[in-house]
Amino acid sequence: MIELQNIGKTYQRPSGEPVEALIDVSLQIERGEFVAIVGTSGSGKSTLMNIIGLLDLPSRGRYFLGGQDVTTLDGNRQAEMRNKKIGFVFQSFHLLPRTTALENVELPLLYSDRKSIRDMSRRALEAVNLADRIRHRPSELSGGQQQRVAIARALVNEPDLLLADEPTGNLDRQSALEVVSMFQSLNRAGRTIVLITHDREIASYAGRIVKLERGSKASDDRVTETRVVMQEAQ
Amino acid sequence: MKAIRLASHSMRMMKRYKLRTSFMMLGSFIGVAALTFVVSAGQSAERKVLEMVTQMFGDSGIVIRVGGGEDVGGPRGAGTRLKIDDIAAIAKEVPGIEDWDPMQTLTTSIRHGDATDNAQIFGESERWQQVWNRSASRGDSFDETAVASLARVAIVGPTVAKELFGNDDPVGADIQIGAVPFKVIGVLESWGTDPHGMDRDNEVIVPITTLMHRLAHEDTISGAKLLLKDPASSDAIKVQIRKILRERHGLSPGQPDGLTIITPTEVRRMVGKVQRVMFVYLPLVAAIALLVGGIVSATLMLASVNERVAEIGLRRAIGARAEDIRLQFLMETAITIVAGGLGGITVGFLVALFSAKQMHLGNVDPWMAALLGIVASAVVGVIAGVLPAVRAARLQPAEALR
Repeated sequence: MIELQNIGKTYQRPSGEPVEALIDVSLQIERGEFVAIVGTSGSGKSTLMNIIGLLDLPSRGRYFLGGQDVTTLDGNRQAEMRNKKIGFVFQSFHLLPRTTALENVELPLLYSDRKSIRDMSRRALEAVNLADRIRHRPSELSGGQQQRVAIARALVNEPDLLLADEPTGNLDRQSALEVVSMFQSLNRAGRTIVLITHDREIASYAGRIVKLERGSKASDDRVTETRVVMQEAQ
Repeated sequence: MKAIRLASHSMRMMKRYKLRTSFMMLGSFIGVAALTFVVSAGQSAERKVLEMVTQMFGDSGIVIRVGGGEDVGGPRGAGTRLKIDDIAAIAKEVPGIEDWDPMQTLTTSIRHGDATDNAQIFGESERWQQVWNRSASRGDSFDETAVASLARVAIVGPTVAKELFGNDDPVGADIQIGAVPFKVIGVLESWGTDPHGMDRDNEVIVPITTLMHRLAHEDTISGAKLLLKDPASSDAIKVQIRKILRERHGLSPGQPDGLTIITPTEVRRMVGKVQRVMFVYLPLVAAIALLVGGIVSATLMLASVNERVAEIGLRRAIGARAEDIRLQFLMETAITIVAGGLGGITVGFLVALFSAKQMHLGNVDPWMAALLGIVASAVVGVIAGVLPAVRAARLQPAEALR
């Protein structure tokens, strides 16, 4: 489903000095996988996530998403791909303030051609167990609840791929495990998930762990015994 | 469908940020209010000035006045002892003069019983109605015999009538002008207030001889108006008038004659000056207000873009195209600025209406000002909106989310 071929990314520092954020990264992710990309800060994992999520273009290499070469697409087609094929979950939630949970979840549908926006959004919130919070504003929700609203927003347009960038970084342990557990059940239902994290423990709930070091792929291991979130932790 | 959905979403978002939205509105509100006020009040003031100028000078009259410059009364020169005979001589010698009226004035108190009023008294000939294009709205004027016999008859202005007689009919009543008894024979048609704020209805007209010899005790006049058969010849006639008067007053070359002669050409120049003020300088001031308002709005909008970078990044990430972002910001600015502009038109017009009433400027016509205001706020809206919108859309999603 995702095929990265020799991806490289070079940034310009404001001083003009080039920085190699990614060096020759090749990676293949199949439909239905749950992959954790780990690494320390500065290892290039956020850059990789931006490239996978079509939020940024690679400097070198080719990227196929669903069999299509997306590096050559124009801005509008990329926006359409993000809208239809990818759901994003961010560390800082990125919910619109002063806006209800329901309206936040509706947002991706506003930019699509979908009808019955309200119903789809409500169902997405029900799926993350927030049916009783649809009229709440972000400031009225806990961190864990806010991240669940964000997950509902990521899923509302039924994307093939869920991309999560440090989704547990701002959460307490229990909320973090709730989110991970939610990812696992989504994955069991067939959703492809790419999770970026620096937290080894969170990564261990995935089916495969890709480790980046200084912009290069350092290891790529299948997890033989996937951890399941313990009931007592919830 | 999608566009409507996005538009109504934008409106909802703007309602959530009331303070930001109202400050953006304020910018165009103030600018457009200033423009609307200046244009509509200016228009009605200009119309009033033109009306008064036409009343005073007509388009075919020459006015001779004793005194220095056109507007500033200088010291009286040696040759300023202007007499009725001087004007009569001009009328006889210069061809093309249809009619003429000499004039002398005096400000004094008028009494009727216990009621008093301070008014300007004009002494004029029996031809004042034709020459000044003004008439008695009630009663009669006086004739040649009255002028010859220094008759003590008066035509009072509506203000004088109201002050002295209230709602009673003044025609036929006795009044005292200064210490001299007069009979009221008519009431002047109303002229209202002139551009200098003088109440032209607080005037009284009496025969010129009566004013000169019974009230002012002098044998000179302060001016005259001559009606011309052909207004185009006014400049040539002005030269002839000067020549005749200098001869009659025995002035040597180089000696100032102390007279001001105003021709239709000069009236047009005065009117042009008025129009320049009303139509160039005042709107310029308003345009500056509008520009400042636009800059304020644009600055706020730009600040709002900076503040909302994360929101823009998120929208881009979940599928908004660059043009969707551009459209959203353009729409938000356009809506706030046009709404502020409409408010500004309303308030500016109401203030113009109020001040026109206070200054007796007559009607205010809102359409020109409203049209200008709408166009101006639309232009400001687009300019103030395009800049932030382009900036907002140029951001790469990844870079905006950082």
